[in-house]
Amino acid sequence: MTRRLNAMELVGAVMVVSLVLTALFAPRLAPHDPTRAVAPTYGDPGRPSAAFPLGTDELGRDVLSRIIWGARVSLIVGLAAMVITMTIGVAIGLVAGFFGGAADFALMRFTDVMLTLPALLLAMAFVAVLHPSLLNVLLVIGLVSWTQIARVVRAETLSMAERDFVTAARALGGSPARLIAFHVLPNVMPIIVVMAVLGTSGTLLLDAGLSFLSLGVPPPTPSWGRMIEEALIYFRTAPWLIAFPGLAIFYAVLAFNLLGYGYLRARGGRAGR
Amino acid sequence: MRRRRGTRRRLIAGRLRAAGGAGGALQFAARDRGARDARSRHRRAYRALVAAVLWLAAASGAALGGAGCRGGAGAPAPPGFPPGAQVLHLAVQDDVPTLDPAAGYDTASWTFEQMIFDTLVRYSDGGVDLVPEIATRWDESPDARVFTFHLRRDARFTNGRAVTAADFKYEIERVLNPATRSKGMEYFREMTGAAEFQAGHAREVGGIATPDPWTIVFRLDGPDPIFVQKLAMPFAAAVPHEVVERWGEDFSSHVIGSGPFKLAQWIGGQRLVLVKNPDYFIKGVPRLDAVVEEIGASDDLQWLKFEAGAIDVSRIPSAEFLYVMKTPNLRALTLHIVDIATEYLGMNCGMKPFDDVRVRRAFNYAIDKHKIIALLNGRGVVAEGVLPPGLPGFNPNLKGYPYDPARARLLLEEAGVGKDFSPTLWMRADRTEMMIGQSIQQDLALVGVQVELKPVAWAPLLEAIRQPDTVALVDLGWEADFSDPQNFLEVLFSRKQWGGNNDTFYYNPEVDKLLAEAAPLTDRARRYALYNRAEELVVADAPWVFLYNPVAYMIRQPWVNGYVLNPMRPTRLEQVWLSPHGRGRD
Repeated sequence: MTRRLNAMELVGAVMVVSLVLTALFAPRLAPHDPTRAVAPTYGDPGRPSAAFPLGTDELGRDVLSRIIWGARVSLIVGLAAMVITMTIGVAIGLVAGFFGGAADFALMRFTDVMLTLPALLLAMAFVAVLHPSLLNVLLVIGLVSWTQIARVVRAETLSMAERDFVTAARALGGSPARLIAFHVLPNVMPIIVVMAVLGTSGTLLLDAGLSFLSLGVPPPTPSWGRMIEEALIYFRTAPWLIAFPGLAIFYAVLAFNLLGYGYLRARGGRAGR
Repeated sequence: MRRRRGTRRRLIAGRLRAAGGAGGALQFAARDRGARDARSRHRRAYRALVAAVLWLAAASGAALGGAGCRGGAGAPAPPGFPPGAQVLHLAVQDDVPTLDPAAGYDTASWTFEQMIFDTLVRYSDGGVDLVPEIATRWDESPDARVFTFHLRRDARFTNGRAVTAADFKYEIERVLNPATRSKGMEYFREMTGAAEFQAGHAREVGGIATPDPWTIVFRLDGPDPIFVQKLAMPFAAAVPHEVVERWGEDFSSHVIGSGPFKLAQWIGGQRLVLVKNPDYFIKGVPRLDAVVEEIGASDDLQWLKFEAGAIDVSRIPSAEFLYVMKTPNLRALTLHIVDIATEYLGMNCGMKPFDDVRVRRAFNYAIDKHKIIALLNGRGVVAEGVLPPGLPGFNPNLKGYPYDPARARLLLEEAGVGKDFSPTLWMRADRTEMMIGQSIQQDLALVGVQVELKPVAWAPLLEAIRQPDTVALVDLGWEADFSDPQNFLEVLFSRKQWGGNNDTFYYNPEVDKLLAEAAPLTDRARRYALYNRAEELVVADAPWVFLYNPVAYMIRQPWVNGYVLNPMRPTRLEQVWLSPHGRGRD
């Protein structure tokens, strides 16, 4: 397994690690409390200055501190939603691919139906019905993003299930659960890893989208999407207020995409083979 | 009687609600939050994109000679006007709901109804006082139960017939008639004989007499010192019965009135054109030849059109407001007015710990109102009490609660409110509301209260505040229908309004006594003195955090003259005129 990381992976990994560190050490890194006013720039956001490198927002809060704390929310939501997504997607994909027949048909048609519904729209509906909170947001994002993963995992499983080593294991009397857990899953793992990393950028974006639509984590918790939404009013007079959280989202999505595609490239373009 | 969230008054999302003897008053969420609701969340999402596209559209329109953006392909052309004609161009988002004065109960409808129709009296330009319109003078009996109006004899409908007392009687009876389903019904119910008429036991309202064509007398069952103000509503305009009878429900599209303008063209969803009534009873009025209102233009599109000089008057979208105020030549074109309205944070006096006056006072000290005004970029003035400045009976000496977090902390400690106290603040789901909510949240966090914000849609919010023990904290506003303190104090704080407009479930027997005493008084000095006393008691009891009185802003082109913002009604356009060489468009 030891091999040199390629440039894409390396850059992506460094960026992801920097994000994770920022999120972990937000209380130490952030110069100010992200929910308190630190400058009296009410209604007229403050320009970036030496004291506040990214300026202050319309409620007098330090934008840099809010972006740093926002990384925490974004990563929690992004990663937790990804775990939920992977759990559902992989389970459905494995079962459908391994057993085939009626189970496959039922699960895949259900997946197709889910695929026809736009994730953001579905998430909006869910969050609007539930109460927007950290837990609900990440649950909802998880529940609407698993379809693509289920399809890919199913395809991989299908080909794996017919390989000789699986047939051999079956001949030796392995139960379906054992076959899946010890023979199919390890071989499908590489693509799951790629999908998880790439999918995280998707869940991050979905979280930002929901926040932007005021359906994300409720205030006062800072979140990047909501920061952009709140800054819209000041687009003409304080464009940096939109730019910085926008760049933060850009950075986070780019980080996970670089890592994912770099890994994909290292494995010869097609993962899992 | 209630009104949903349209906009009766400029820019205000609100509604009128049943208000017993006090008449209606308008509950609103805040200035500059027009007819938006949950829908607007989506709209916001791609507002930036839309703005970009509109820029392109506007730019290409300008390249095609400026007129390119008016009128869609295939639409009937707007009526032609000779060069140099005084034509005022406006644009709005939503179609005008109706032009029938018995039906309209929103800003857009009233804007045009008051141009097409005349009432006996109206509010003065820029003021809250009544001035004659069709009436030349009126007499009020000392007990405020009999009102006699003398009419001018030179007013004519645009079909040529003279306006007489019978036309006013006809319209009020039409409004009272249950078959008309008019929202103005409740304002005339206290007329003698109205109940019999509504029940079908009488063919006419006995309390309205027309001894001769130029005199009309109204008799009421009980005293109502603000009755004349009710006659200034378009519900009480003169309409020609023969035209209404001819068109029935369709009258709205074929309106004939006696006002300064008449309807020339109304294409639903596209355009409304009014032209000058050359026979209007005041010579030289209106000064405009026509008003062309283009329908279906979003706030952003209106703004782009304004910047391009294609429309003459516009609202200022919140995203542009700060830019406008920071650009001196744009700022010089703005107009503003303090609304007869008050924004407040209601605290439910029936729910713990808000049953303790110390907690309610602590909240008043804890919230920084000047910060909220700054957040609104100055679109508000700090409220000391219930009544807004500009309302007759406003008490300039009333002192409310200054910002004093230390005192707030002390009071909360005294009241024994612990750290686990985390009330929910209900509010409309709206960007400005959320901003103010977050500001309040910040302020209260400083005194140790963690507030949870609960943005809800307008209709469920209004439903929730009527239920006892449901909403502990709510961010709302109230706007006057009539320029009288009764319209605030009785409607919002009397015991009989529990479950109605008294959304804090406030009750003080002494206040109720003062309100009952003041209601029938016609002597203004005594009346206002009693209301001021009641207001002082309310402020001391602090069922509200008295936040601010909103200020409305509009912007008009430099060539537009005589455009005056009114506190009680939409702007009247008959005094507006355009500088002949000012505009670059026609």
